[in-house]
Amino acid sequence: MKYALVISVLLGVILLFLLAAASGNTALFSHHYALLLGLNAALALAVLGLVGYQLWVLTSKLRARVFGSRLTLRFLLMFLPMVIVPGGLVYLVSLQFMAKSIESWFDVRVDNALEGGLNLGRTALDLLLTELNDKARRMALELSDKTPAQQVVLLDRLREQAGVDDALLLSSGGNVIASARKGVGKLLPALPSSMIQRQARQSRSYSALEGAPDKGLSLRVLVPVAALSITEDERLLQLLQRVPPTLTRDAEAVQEVYRDYKELSLSRQGLKEIYILTLTLTLLLTLFSATALAFLLSARLSEPLALLAAGTQAVARGDYSRRAQVTSSDELGILTQSFNSMTEQLDDARSAAESHRAELETAKAYLENILANLSAGVLVLDEQLRLVTVNHGAGAILQETFDGLKGCVLADWPRLQSLARAIVEGFKRHDTATWQQQLELAERMLLVRGSVLPRASGGGYVVVFDDVTTLVQAQRATAWGEVARRLAHEIKNPLTPIQLSAERLQAKLASKLAPEDAAALKRATETIINQVAAMKGMVDDFGEYARTPAPSLQPLDLNALVREVLDLYEHAGAPLRPALQAGLPQVVGDPTQLRQVMHNLLQNAQDALVGRADPQIEVETERAGNQACLRISDNGCGFPEAIMVRVFEPYVTTKPKGTGLGLAIVKKIIDEHNGAIRVENLPGHGARVSILLPLLPESGRTS
Amino acid sequence: MSLRLLVPLLLALALGWPAPARAENIEISHILIEVNDEGYALDADFEIELNPRLEDAVNKGVAMYFQVEFELARNRWYWFDERTVSRQLMLRLSYHALTRQYRISRGALHQSFSSLPEALRVLSRVRSWQVLERAEIDAGDYQAALRMRLDVTQLPKPFQVNALTSREWNLASEWRRWPLKIKAPVTEKAPQ
Repeated sequence: MKYALVISVLLGVILLFLLAAASGNTALFSHHYALLLGLNAALALAVLGLVGYQLWVLTSKLRARVFGSRLTLRFLLMFLPMVIVPGGLVYLVSLQFMAKSIESWFDVRVDNALEGGLNLGRTALDLLLTELNDKARRMALELSDKTPAQQVVLLDRLREQAGVDDALLLSSGGNVIASARKGVGKLLPALPSSMIQRQARQSRSYSALEGAPDKGLSLRVLVPVAALSITEDERLLQLLQRVPPTLTRDAEAVQEVYRDYKELSLSRQGLKEIYILTLTLTLLLTLFSATALAFLLSARLSEPLALLAAGTQAVARGDYSRRAQVTSSDELGILTQSFNSMTEQLDDARSAAESHRAELETAKAYLENILANLSAGVLVLDEQLRLVTVNHGAGAILQETFDGLKGCVLADWPRLQSLARAIVEGFKRHDTATWQQQLELAERMLLVRGSVLPRASGGGYVVVFDDVTTLVQAQRATAWGEVARRLAHEIKNPLTPIQLSAERLQAKLASKLAPEDAAALKRATETIINQVAAMKGMVDDFGEYARTPAPSLQPLDLNALVREVLDLYEHAGAPLRPALQAGLPQVVGDPTQLRQVMHNLLQNAQDALVGRADPQIEVETERAGNQACLRISDNGCGFPEAIMVRVFEPYVTTKPKGTGLGLAIVKKIIDEHNGAIRVENLPGHGARVSILLPLLPESGRTS
Repeated sequence: MSLRLLVPLLLALALGWPAPARAENIEISHILIEVNDEGYALDADFEIELNPRLEDAVNKGVAMYFQVEFELARNRWYWFDERTVSRQLMLRLSYHALTRQYRISRGALHQSFSSLPEALRVLSRVRSWQVLERAEIDAGDYQAALRMRLDVTQLPKPFQVNALTSREWNLASEWRRWPLKIKAPVTEKAPQ
């Protein structure tokens, strides 16, 4: 594009120069003038095509909303008047001026003067011719009465007298009879053509002005010479006279100018057209070239801005890698440089923010991870006591999904009412202080702590709770063990003396008393003895509970053990329905203690089934992961809800007789086996006790 | 005014360089080719009609150049015809205002006439124009062509501009073509 423009402008300059030179009054290129005009016009057309192409490109850019194209258009609209207005002005003025000046060349007076000059020349020449004609007639007259011989002699003298350059006497046949010349120049005189001779004879005279383009003018006069007699033929006298050179030159000059003037005046329209054409072509070429140049300049001016814009758009899209090229050292260059450095700073700032955010996120994720994996339950409430956040631990402890509870005010919770009430009351009671409360729910014991979040961090409340059921149970078990040990030690000692004393009282006094008294004594002492014995039994039980020896753990077949125990209960009371998983791996346990566990549990079940029409006991074993599960279910009355939490504590019993130590002992044994025990009521009727015992490590793997 | 000029000019450029306008103002009335010792000589008679504008220009002293063109082409079926010979004869007609004479120049030769019809009569008669040299042409069938036209490019430039747009300035005859059989010269090419 650029090169096309440069080439066409150069060509245009050359062609215009040639055209202007040729349009001047010179012979230059006169043969190829039309071609030159055509070439110029073709070039103008070509540049116009270039402009059209540029316009088309710009239009399509504008349509496509290419950034910078509107700026290009504005520049262009600014440039164009600067080109068109002066160009058009100069053109119009030149046109006017030229037309006026060409018209001013032609003037009637000049015309008349030139015409007059020419006529002057013609008159002068006519005069010379007439004069020569007169001379010729005089000479012919003098020669007419002479003999031919005399004529030859006389001719030169007469020529001399008349002052004529060249005299010639011709016979009727056209042959030269006599010749007389001034000087000794050419040998041969200029002979008249036969046509001239004929004319001279017919019209009795011939006079003409002759001129060859480069030989100057000469006058030729032919007159017939009258013959002396009829027999003689008529001769012709020819006189040749050169027109004086000064006259020739002047007349020729006048004629030349006259001709040029006439030619000019004839061609004045064409001349005007030439100049107009040249001017128009110049204007068009200039305008088109300037327009094309304006296009280029505009595009060039708006190019860095378009680059900057592209950079800006890239930045807006988040691409900081684009850097506009700095091409100039002017303000645009500085702007570009500033833009680049700004982009760089933005990039740095963004990456810093990014890494900062990543750090924060990591920290948050870390905290969240900790919170999620915290076994304690955490509830976060806002200032209106609406649940905001709950961690995984809370769900696990409460066995609650918290669906529909989030965002709900605590007081309106449809479930977990007791917990919600306790929390609300706790915060109400303690206001801003941190509080702690032990809460007993249906099956578990919770230690709930509440604290108020500082107002700076958004306010609200946080509640942390732990399942302390196991802890409490362990504490109680320990306490009861101590009590049992004390009882066994402190209570058992006085019992023997009491019994002995009662026996001695009876032995000593029975004989001495009346039979009624003796009978009363006997009853009393027996009561004492029986009660002491009962007490002893109770104390023994306690002792046994407190003193349960550490289990001697060994591999054993749980199913075999269960079957062995079940055999003993085959015919006692309720029917047994064993469901033992075949191929159960060996467990680790103390067979004696586990047998007691079985006895206790089966006894409990049977006790619960007393009075039921369709008593039933199910005993199942199955593998659960790396533990073996033993379940004993009955369809009896189940455990009362009230004692569910403390069912493993000593002295918690529903049976009219019984120490309430059965389940406590079971629990103790299972704990010492590193197992787990769970008690639940079955839907409808009955209860189920599930025991988990660890499998033998190797056997667990090998099977 | 410039538009009036420029539009035909641009149009002419767009349609290729203009062929001379078909102005039937020169007629070829007679052609004769004669064999002579040197080769072939051409006699031709034209009828030249000068329109008033051209006549006026001649009388105002503008020199007119008439070009007689002769071409000899050999037919070629496979390509454009081969142009064998091309001859031009330039005749100049001018008016000498001082002597009131019309001049016809043919090379260095010139003749003067006192009236324009006389001069035109001479101008339209071409005699013994040696168009072919015997040595330069082979025997065979040829196509000869002849025309006469006013050479506009010899005019002063303003008239050239006029000629670009006006038919009055275009004076030319049609190409007259006729077959020409060139016989092998008997005198030449003796058997070796």
